[in-house]
This record gives sequence, C-alpha cells and structure tokens, in this order.
Amino acid sequence: MSAIAAAAALVFDPYVIMVVIGSAIFGIFVGAIPGLTATMATALLVPITFFMPPVPALGAIVTASAMAIFAGDIPGAMLRMPGTPASAAYTDESYAMARKGQLELNLGVNLVFSVAGGLVGVLFLILAAPWLAEAALNFSSFEYFWLAFLGLSCATLITASGRTRAILALLMGLAVGCVGIDPVAGHPRFTFGNVDLMSGISFIPTMIGAFAVSELLRGSISTEAMGVMVQERVGALFKGIGEVTRRYWRNFLRGSVVGTAIGALPGAGADIAAWISYAMAKRFSKEPEKFGTGHVEGVVESTSSNNSALGGAWIPALVFGIPGDSITAIVIGVLYMKGMNPGPTVFLQNPQLIYAVFMIFVAANLLMLPLGWAAIKGAGRLLRAPRRILLPIILLFCIVGSFAITNSAYGILVMLVFGVIGWLMEENGIPVAPLVLGIVLGELLEQSFLTSMMKADGDPTAFFTRPIAGTLGVLTLLIWAVMAWRALRGSPQART
Amino acid sequence: MRLHDTLLGALLVALAAAFFAYTFTFPDMPGQRYGPALFPRLIALGIMACGVLIAVRGWRSGRPMLDLSPPLRHLQGWLALLAMPLAVVFYWLAADRLGFLPTATIVVAGLCAWLGVRLWAALLTGVLTALVVQWFFGSLMRVPLPRGWFMQLVAGG
Repeated sequence: MSAIAAAAALVFDPYVIMVVIGSAIFGIFVGAIPGLTATMATALLVPITFFMPPVPALGAIVTASAMAIFAGDIPGAMLRMPGTPASAAYTDESYAMARKGQLELNLGVNLVFSVAGGLVGVLFLILAAPWLAEAALNFSSFEYFWLAFLGLSCATLITASGRTRAILALLMGLAVGCVGIDPVAGHPRFTFGNVDLMSGISFIPTMIGAFAVSELLRGSISTEAMGVMVQERVGALFKGIGEVTRRYWRNFLRGSVVGTAIGALPGAGADIAAWISYAMAKRFSKEPEKFGTGHVEGVVESTSSNNSALGGAWIPALVFGIPGDSITAIVIGVLYMKGMNPGPTVFLQNPQLIYAVFMIFVAANLLMLPLGWAAIKGAGRLLRAPRRILLPIILLFCIVGSFAITNSAYGILVMLVFGVIGWLMEENGIPVAPLVLGIVLGELLEQSFLTSMMKADGDPTAFFTRPIAGTLGVLTLLIWAVMAWRALRGSPQART
Repeated sequence: MRLHDTLLGALLVALAAAFFAYTFTFPDMPGQRYGPALFPRLIALGIMACGVLIAVRGWRSGRPMLDLSPPLRHLQGWLALLAMPLAVVFYWLAADRLGFLPTATIVVAGLCAWLGVRLWAALLTGVLTALVVQWFFGSLMRVPLPRGWFMQLVAGG
C-alpha cells in the first residue's frame, strides 16, 4: 500500500503534471499532422526527457503516444490522410462516414472508444504485469535467452511487409548492436580503433535518425497536396454515442482485448492491432456488406484496438525488458541508458515507479477526453500547419537532440547516417522497426546465450532442461518450423 | 529509389561476407568454445541467406535495375532530397566555429527557403526556432550548445 501512496506522491507533483499536459499537447499535434508518427513523437521526446527524473520522463512518453494514436484519427476522417499509421486501417471508412454527413459521429466514436480502449489496455497491464513479474523472478539466463529469441521471432511473424525483409532488418539491427565492446569477453568489435565507436553505436541518435530523419527525408521530396476537407467546423461530438455503444459493445470488447494481446506481442504494435481488428470486425459482422460505405462498426473495433495495444505493449516491456512495440523499444533503450534495467527486479526495488507509470497511463487516457475534444474542435486550423516550415524545425530538434545525448558531433553523424539508411531501407521495402528492435534486444540475446553456454559447459540441451525455458524453447522452435514450412510451401505470406 | 532485388541481394551478400571476414581478427575467449566472434558470424550468415533469397526470388521480376519514384526523376527532386543531409553536414562543420545561434538560424531559414517558403518568413522562422531551442536545450536542459564566434562577439567570450 505504501508503494501506491509513494507513487501518488510522485505523480501528483506540479512538475510532473506540467510535463504530462505539455506532452499531451505535443502528442496531439504530432499525431494529427500526417507524416509525423507516434514513434517519431516518442523519438523526439527522448532527448527532451532524457535529463528528467524517471517518472516525468516515462509519463511524457506514455501520454504523448496515447494522444498521438488517438489524434491520428482526426485527419483520417477529415482529409482521408491518416495522421499516424495506426489509423490507416479505418481511414477510408471514417472518410466515407464524413462524406455521408456523419463526421461528428465518427470523431466522437473515435474519441470515446480510444479512451475506453486505452483504459482496457491499462487494466490488463495493471493486472498482468505484477503477476508476470513474480513468475519472472525465477528466470535465469536460459529463460531470458528464449524470451529474447521468441520476441525477435514474433516481430517477424506479424509483419505487413515480406517476412524475409523483416528478418533482414532484424539481423541488420543485431549487426549494428555488435559494434562496440562485446558483452562477455570485453573485446572491442568493429571499432576500427575509433574511440566513439568503442562505446557502441549510440542508440538514441540511431533511433532519431531511423524513425524521424528518414520520415523527414521522405516528406521533403513528397509533393502530395492536402486532400479536400469535407467539413471544417465540427458540431456536437457526443450525440449518438449511446446508441453506437448499445449496438456495438461487443466489437469494443473484442477490439480492446485483441488489441492488448497484439500490443503485448513483441514487435507488433498499434498499427497492426488496428488492421487485425478491422478485419475481425468485418469477418464477424452481421452486416459485412456495409463495410467501406461509412459504417461505424469497424471503426469502433479498430479504434479501441490501437489504443489498447499501447497499454499491452508495456506488459513485456516492464516485466521482461522486451519491447511490445517500437515505442516501448525506445523506452527500454532509454531505461538501459539511464542504468534502470527493466525487469522483475524493478517491481521489487522500485514498485512506486511501476505504480506511477500505471497512474499516468490512466490519467493520460482520461485526459484524452477533454483534450481530444478541444483538438477536434480546433482541427480545421490545426491541419493547415504548413509542412515546409514544420520539417526544418523538426530537423533542428533532431540535430540538437542527437547532439545532447552524446555531447559531441558523433551523435549528429550517427543520426544522419541512420536517417539515410532508414530512408533507403523503406524505399526498398525493408521495414525499419525490426532494425531498432534488433539493436535493443541484441545485447540481451548475446549475453544470455553466452552466459548460458558457459554455465552449461557448452552443452546445448541445458537450454531445455528448465521447465519454463524448455516451454519457451519448444514454442520458439515451433514458430520457426511453421514459418519455414509455409515458406517452402510457397504460401502468399512468404513473399519477399 | 528501389534497387532491383537481385542487385540488393548481391549487395547484402557482399556486405555480410565482409562482416564475416572481419570476425577472423577477433581473439578466442580462453577456455570457452564460443567467443566474441560467434554472434557476428551467425548474423552475417543470416544476412547472406536473406540476401540470396531476395536475389533469387527477384530474378525474374522484370523490374528495372534502379526504380526511381516520380519526384526523383527530376533534378528538383534530388535537390529536395539532398537539402536536409546537406543542412546537417553544414551544421556539423559550422556549429563549433560559428556558434549555435547563427548556425541553427541558417539551417532552419535555409531549409525553409529551399522548400519554397518566402524569404522573410523563412528568416523569422529560423531566428525564432534557434532562440527557442537555445532556451529549451541550452538553458533549461543545460546542454552545452557550442558558443563559437557569435557568442564571443555578443557576450565577450
């Protein structure tokens, strides 16, 4: 009980509240502008929050990402351009609703069910995390190896691009993680005698480059004009919500639960959750022919799903240190850098930190209601923010942010290199998110493998003798077997 | 800027082979079978496998060697693409000498102007952004942004 009280004291601090509100506004802004993603918002927040104490820093990221995922729905409905990839699944449906004169209903539904879905995700997080953490206290290097390996495998399982390219991106991330001093023997690898490289390729500038700068590069050459805004002024938002809830509460529940589960799967986040939930809504609907004409059922399910996925992603992140999506991958990287290794010991030694994160999650979702309402009302003006002025400003933030982490120009160089690499990768259909996942998990994977090998005196069967390790190991091998079988069969999933 | 799959695959195999070759310079860990070379080698083999798969599958795709997206087929597109990297390089080279404020102003104003914003608006944006960033990162977060010639001129060193 005292941990909860301690957490409350940490959270209800004027500085923290100010940071939360500030990041909420930032999140809405970034989410609502097409071309700026929630992951980019998190990437940009990292240098800003790096020098803050852990509670406001994590709170800022939690709040900003929750707001951004909701705010992406606004331009989707008004301009047919999703503000973030997570809204892409139901953008067409939302725009169709707007054309039918149901813009208020669509935005109201998006707002209310984003809040509700987010709360369901947090609920699962609060219930599952401590329980899992207690089980994880008995974990040793064998279990962590299989968890890391399983996490990396899952990331390639549910991917929108071809599986080979996702695996390739993962391997590239692992390769980048090899630069520096090796975790077990302490021998410098791929450093070529350079002092900067000996500390490894700095994670935060890499991430800023790969997620933010590559998007900026894409934005600077794209000449697409803004779509036609159907309706600029938005009227009463909450009319008709009761009716929608009465008819489609099952969709909401299914979307939230499925979203949380997909968010908890490493590497699969809000965007994939939304696509899967939209498909499920259509599959299980009594009126599937209405989908695509401006039907609210799919919107209810997917908008709850992507917000609940955010909460779900924190489950493996907090408990095992294995990211559930790109946003938590960034968070974990930052936590490692600050010397706070996520894992079950945090629950033991710093439970107030965990409870504080839970509280901020709940507060952020509740805050979404008034702030989201204001954002929708002001959207007409918001969406006309000129990209040609925004992009250079964001670039400067990226440069200074990368510099701030390493206090040297090395960070800026890394940011530029990975910005270009990230752009080239996306141009060639290689997804960038697995790259960052590989960088984050690489050290855990290698360290746990080599430590386990040393403990077992080189005997590989030791990876299966412990019960949990054995189960995880068999599960992982099964997943790879299924993937290999599908690839050999030449199923459509196995395209490059 | 999409490469033909076979070209991409070949490139990946070559890079991975170089990666693999370099691991032979790593010493073994005394008394252990697996050392610092193990993971890089496994990764390199994996990348080579992916490269071969991509190359083989793309062999008959009929795509051009280098597929440029529409904006990049004109010089203007390339200029737009290169604007940001050039700006970053300029910052990298000039910030220490000129100081943060003028360099940041030039970077932001220059990019805005390059992207088509009117000169006065670009300059205003540049100056405002530089000042805000200097305040936020420099004063609030205490990041040691380079002072350079400008600060020496203004504040006397």
